Amino acid sequence: MSKGVLVDIPKCIGCESCSVACKLWNELEWDPQEKTKTPTDRAKEPNNGLWPEEWTSINRYALKKNGTAVGRYVKTQCMHCEDPACVSACFSKAIQKLPQGPVIYDQKLCVGCRYCMMACPFDILRYEWKKSIPGVRKCQMCPTRVANNQETACTSVCPTGAITFGDRDELLAEAKKRIRSNGYVDRVFGEKEAGGTSWLYISDTPFEQMKFRTDVTTKSLPSYTEGYMKMTPFIGGAWATILAGLYVFNNKNKEPLE
Amino acid sequence: MASKAGQAKKLSRRSFLKFVGGASLVGVSLNLAGCGEPITAEKAVGGSGWMPAQYNAPGNWPTNVRGRVPIDPENPAIIRDDEKCILCGQCIEVCEKIQSVYGNYELPIKNEIVCVNCGQCTQWCPSGAITERDDTDKVFKALADPNITVVVQTAPSTRIGLGEEFGMPVGTNVQGKQVAALRKLGFDVVFDTNFTADLTIMEEGTELVKRVTGELKKPTPQLTSCCPGWVKFVEYFYPDLIPNLSSAKSPQQMEGTLMKTYYAEKKNVDPKKIFSVAIMPCTAKKFECQRPEMVSASKELKDSKVTPDVDVVLTTRELARMIKRAGINFAALPDDQYDQLMGSGTGAGAIFGTTGGVMEAAARSAYYLITGQQPPSALWDLTPVRGMQGVKEAAVNIPGVGSVKVAVISGLTNARLVMDQIRSGNAPWVFIEVMACPGGCEYGGGQPRASSPPSDDVRNRRAASLYKIDANAKLRNSHDNPQIKQVYADFLTAPMSKKAEELLHTNYISRAEEFVTKKSKSKLN
Repeated sequence: MSKGVLVDIPKCIGCESCSVACKLWNELEWDPQEKTKTPTDRAKEPNNGLWPEEWTSINRYALKKNGTAVGRYVKTQCMHCEDPACVSACFSKAIQKLPQGPVIYDQKLCVGCRYCMMACPFDILRYEWKKSIPGVRKCQMCPTRVANNQETACTSVCPTGAITFGDRDELLAEAKKRIRSNGYVDRVFGEKEAGGTSWLYISDTPFEQMKFRTDVTTKSLPSYTEGYMKMTPFIGGAWATILAGLYVFNNKNKEPLE
Repeated sequence: MASKAGQAKKLSRRSFLKFVGGASLVGVSLNLAGCGEPITAEKAVGGSGWMPAQYNAPGNWPTNVRGRVPIDPENPAIIRDDEKCILCGQCIEVCEKIQSVYGNYELPIKNEIVCVNCGQCTQWCPSGAITERDDTDKVFKALADPNITVVVQTAPSTRIGLGEEFGMPVGTNVQGKQVAALRKLGFDVVFDTNFTADLTIMEEGTELVKRVTGELKKPTPQLTSCCPGWVKFVEYFYPDLIPNLSSAKSPQQMEGTLMKTYYAEKKNVDPKKIFSVAIMPCTAKKFECQRPEMVSASKELKDSKVTPDVDVVLTTRELARMIKRAGINFAALPDDQYDQLMGSGTGAGAIFGTTGGVMEAAARSAYYLITGQQPPSALWDLTPVRGMQGVKEAAVNIPGVGSVKVAVISGLTNARLVMDQIRSGNAPWVFIEVMACPGGCEYGGGQPRASSPPSDDVRNRRAASLYKIDANAKLRNSHDNPQIKQVYADFLTAPMSKKAEELLHTNYISRAEEFVTKKSKSKLN
């Protein structure tokens, strides 16, 4: 069954254990400049604190709720779409979706075209511009841990249960239950966005105020072009056959050139 | 014999290109059709690292130790280096179980991350990720400025901790070397916080007597107010008990105020040019000196250019770093003396540094304040309030009043038990001493890391060193301190006089609005 993670934004206390867990498990390097940034700083950045070595980031938004100032911490990382646009854009099959949920990337297959970055509706993927042989970097949703029946690194360390790992269907039901009982905004971000994502967010403050892309389509992005793009190999094959036939037919009675 | 090369079929340039082109087309078509090797979880980037064992359990198995405490980047007392954090969970362990701060609020958090700045997490952190906020640069800068008089005070328990940073046995008393090192670093005047510890006893003791006699319309039990972590804890979780807190400032703040008023007046120094530094075993003191109400000197002198009473607080560890950075051979330093005026304390002041010390000192002077006679020698060794138990009780016999019940608490979880009892109205005690850190200041959040996690063995050895200072002291009662008599005669007139109230007493604010009170006894999640 497809796995997912439920992010209960009001439960986050901003300890950033998840970011550290991600660094530890994926052996991501520490950038001295990034290290000094605070969640408030990162929330103001255009890239939401995501860098090649920062696959997840906690961003703090200063909001108003019922007239009083509140702070909300939002975890940012790859949403792991059910039907990912990056996967459909990748012609070398370097990005693929696993049946358990994670959208993973194999750098050996990558040619560095960065179509995936253009395709991503949530602007998650980062390119290693500083490296001579660069790759595309993003949250992998700990595929080896998930395959071994363990939860993802970030969810395993969350002290408050703000991020919960589980079966996506069960998490979706839990999310709706929490929306009802806690008086949250009536929307599970990720239920339908971009055709549904493995990561689901619920919140007591409006998503628009926390830099969520709420205008994203609910249709799966590859479905826009899938209808005709999936014909490409067949059209190519057919053309090759036709042209080869024509060639043979035209040269049937000719003498060899030499 | 014909050459083999001559027999080989000739491959023309054209047919070679045709072959290569055709093969490429087939390859590309197959690839586009998805006939590649399927990707597997093992081939994905990342996942090559390490996680502590408790996180590698299958599925959503419950784990008792998870994650770490939140630390506000603006926290004035403590900072964390994420690069060093291994998510062992020790900080949560001490914050939740021993200090009962983390998890004692409902989610969502409002705006502020609840923290009493006690710094016990810096002592428990095994990788040194959590440390005090380093303020040494500010002090180096002030020391380099010839126009500024840098006045420093040292807390009772830094002298029995500092030596450990230089390889000396736990609890070594390095009072004289500490003074010498401070002078060598360039501090102009070196005062002893033991002096204001004695002064605190005079103010707090007088306040207690007035509460008991009914002269002061404030409730008993009176709670001590020298520990800024404890004071903030009351403001957060027990705002209804704020009237019980003694209004007397902590010794650090009293010393700071007097530096910029009493000392400046006596020695004819411009208070605007005094930079007041405090060497403390404590991280919460960094928060305390930044409290907006701690500007009594500026208020008293009606001069907004006078900086806060205490400009910078350095922990014992920071002072050790300064000494190391300056290349001073600490062990070889000759013993030096504190500057006079505010540089001598009694044995009663010295034991402020350990749990029970304030109570013992207060008992001696309360006896004197009530009866007008010197306390019996039994009060010089008030054993029931000594030792490392979290909650200790004692009864002090004072003629004319009878048996006075007192309690001594260290560790904030222990404090909760007693505070809940006060709330329910069945507290038999008149006076309660509370220190946020288990064992008191001697193992405060700013002391050298002698064991990890902190152990009672180290606490006992440090406490023994403080009790030794007291036992060997010529004067063992705060009210006998000649400099205390002098400051009252020359400057403050009497304990709790109008001037003393203005300079040495403070007020507290409720911080209950900063979070939602915990409703159930369940854990955070």
